[in-house]
Amino acid sequence: MLFPTLAFGLFFVTIFLLNWLTRPHPLIWKITVFGSSLFFYGWWNWRFVFLLLWAIASNWYAGAQIDKYLLVGSKKSATKWLRTAIVGDLVLLGVFKYYDFFAVELSNLLGSRTAIPLLELTLPVGISFFTFQAMSYVIDTHRRLIKPMPILDFAVYLSFFPQLVAGPIVRASEMAPQISQRPDPRQVASGEAFQLILRGLFKKVVISSWLASAIVDDVFANPESHSSQDVLLGVYGYAIQIYADFSGYTDIAIGVALLLGFRFPTNFDRPYSALSLREFWKRWHITLSSWLRDYLYIPLGGNRGKNADTYRNLLITMILGGLWHGSTWNFVIWGAIHGVALVVERLLPNWQIHPVVRWIATFHIVCFAWIFFRAESFSSAMDVLQAIVTSPGPTELADVLLILILAAMLTAQFIPKFRSEDFKQWLNSRGILTQGLAFGVGLVLIDIFGPEGVAPFIYFQF
Amino acid sequence: MEDDTRPELSSQSKANGFPAGKVFFSGIAGLALAVFINSSALLADAERLPDGRSRSLSVAVWTPIEAIASTLKLTWPRTATDFLLGRSEDKEHISLHREQMASASESETEERLVLSIEEEQFLEVHPDEDPTEILDSAWNSDNPFTIWVLGDSMVQFFGETFVMMAERSSSVSAIAEPKLASGLSRPDYFDWPTRISEVMAAHDPDAVILMFGGNDAQNIRTDDGRWLKRFGAQWEEEYRRRIAVVMDLAAANQERVVLWVGQPPMREEGFDSRMQQLNDLYRAEADERQGVHYLDLRSLFTDDSGNYARYLPNSSEKLVDVRLTDGVHLSHWGGEWLSKFLLNEIKKSPDLEELWNQ
Repeated sequence: MLFPTLAFGLFFVTIFLLNWLTRPHPLIWKITVFGSSLFFYGWWNWRFVFLLLWAIASNWYAGAQIDKYLLVGSKKSATKWLRTAIVGDLVLLGVFKYYDFFAVELSNLLGSRTAIPLLELTLPVGISFFTFQAMSYVIDTHRRLIKPMPILDFAVYLSFFPQLVAGPIVRASEMAPQISQRPDPRQVASGEAFQLILRGLFKKVVISSWLASAIVDDVFANPESHSSQDVLLGVYGYAIQIYADFSGYTDIAIGVALLLGFRFPTNFDRPYSALSLREFWKRWHITLSSWLRDYLYIPLGGNRGKNADTYRNLLITMILGGLWHGSTWNFVIWGAIHGVALVVERLLPNWQIHPVVRWIATFHIVCFAWIFFRAESFSSAMDVLQAIVTSPGPTELADVLLILILAAMLTAQFIPKFRSEDFKQWLNSRGILTQGLAFGVGLVLIDIFGPEGVAPFIYFQF
Repeated sequence: MEDDTRPELSSQSKANGFPAGKVFFSGIAGLALAVFINSSALLADAERLPDGRSRSLSVAVWTPIEAIASTLKLTWPRTATDFLLGRSEDKEHISLHREQMASASESETEERLVLSIEEEQFLEVHPDEDPTEILDSAWNSDNPFTIWVLGDSMVQFFGETFVMMAERSSSVSAIAEPKLASGLSRPDYFDWPTRISEVMAAHDPDAVILMFGGNDAQNIRTDDGRWLKRFGAQWEEEYRRRIAVVMDLAAANQERVVLWVGQPPMREEGFDSRMQQLNDLYRAEADERQGVHYLDLRSLFTDDSGNYARYLPNSSEKLVDVRLTDGVHLSHWGGEWLSKFLLNEIKKSPDLEELWNQ
């Protein structure tokens, strides 16, 4: 069930009503929200609901055991449970997401005559997100940052449908109080929520879809047949597309959660305005980068040791961060490019470089890495790079609209946050009816400027 | 990375909130506004959905809303904007019947006759030249051997690779034209017979590669509005008629190489079985025609046990992923395999192998 669909619209209207009607009765409310989230998840493939239930049950139980042993002072047993839970989550992730990748690589290394059997499993939607959330829960319980949650609270937290499929990765410490405390039903942040949903839909439905069909898909499908200029525009286009797509999805998720009385952390903060890679990672997919920092980089030693240790830790963190996105070498390379760039940034002397030069360098390193992220294989990525260098010629794909959209999306990254929130403030200060009408007009405009109709038959066989 | 701050919770003054009940009615009002203004587009989208519960529900929801909105003239802002943007719902959906096909074929035959006469005249002027050489040299960079690849999203994933590989010969020009989510079941969404007729008439390609089916295992609506249940006897008859229309259009020129590519094995068992049923129909129709060659992809994309495989060994015995994670489409490598396979099939036609040696 994708956000911009009739099915989700009907689902959400129902859940909104049930959410606020049952909120005064915590048990009924939790069962309602948990059941709705399972229904939402099962819409893709009901079999994977059992996987989600297993993740909930196993991590909740591990959390309870960790807390029990910590209370009696048996840190060793608590750590044993922590390790078991983390290994369990990684096995879950490994079996569904990474097993075939490593089996193929190992088979190729040993020669295909000693081929290792492949599982060829369908990847469950959102598995990377809910396993990371589950791991943060048991780790934070072990660190005594949070108290273990009641089973139903934890079930609501891990399965909560607005963030289940594509984040943001919300920590238990952020969700637990929101689940246990009833929000004020007289203070639903409708203006902010409507603004976020409209912004997200516009980015996802209009910008991302349009860029994909106008240039990106074409360029990455066959870079050899395009001029350097077109390929370069395709790469810039992808940088904007992936931002619009992912941050758009997150905006909708945050907006939808707000309407239900939940506040999620910010996940994107104008990442293409960054003047360094370090800054970029404070602005891009913030909940993932902070997860990697808190649960991987810092436990590895962070920047507490020698410089060489810090560089190693950065590289490991970024490469594993790349692998989190997908089980191909391209994602590893993508992570490695970021890791190396972060190391190089630390190695460079503290020169006073003009901000424009720093921005150009940062943006182009990010775009360079996106090529590996988007290309289907290493050789395809190399084809894109080769085409940028060796295919002079006039542009055939660029037009005024494309250039305007790319320029506008990039320029928007530099609009100060307080300015970009003007619309939100305006909407917040209006009456509730005006908010609703503005929401409706926004939806009309998005539907007009979005692709003509939803593709009717895609994947209907599943 | 080493900054210890957590992402801040997005700031908002709580004083800006409204009671949930009011927000509900406000949201409903906004949605109602959007739904009424966009009702024509929403109904059109719903009608394009594959037949089934989802389509029935969507059509049932949008039809009365669209009727009310049209009566109250609420759809004009959308209609006006579409008009200003150059979009029109009044697309001509031509339903091709055999009579129309026949007339298209006749006109093409006339054109081919003119070409034949010219070729004969050319032969008469240079009687000492070897006819084979003349035929070979008939295709060059100025007059390339043209190949069109037409079909659904499967073509999207190998078409460009095929074009690149085919055009390694300067005497070959190839064009891939995929239409996502299309097929022969739903001409109301995309009318392939009309498009193929246009391509044949306007470009007269020397070879045509067709690949349909991925979206076709669904109920079909006939011209008189009846729904035919998937894989029922009447459905099969109608679907075979549509295959026949497309094959006859493509093979109207007897010199044209026409390849009909069957569906590869699919990961999901039920879907795979449905694709095999369609493949049987394609094969049966192709067998009835001399000019159409049906190509089975099962052996190309199955493992030693004859089953679907995402990873298969390449020529150097290394496992490569030939399918995408969706278990349906071809990956980059899969696209290369299929493209090579198709080019080899084209080369089997008399006099064509030399094209890629020039």
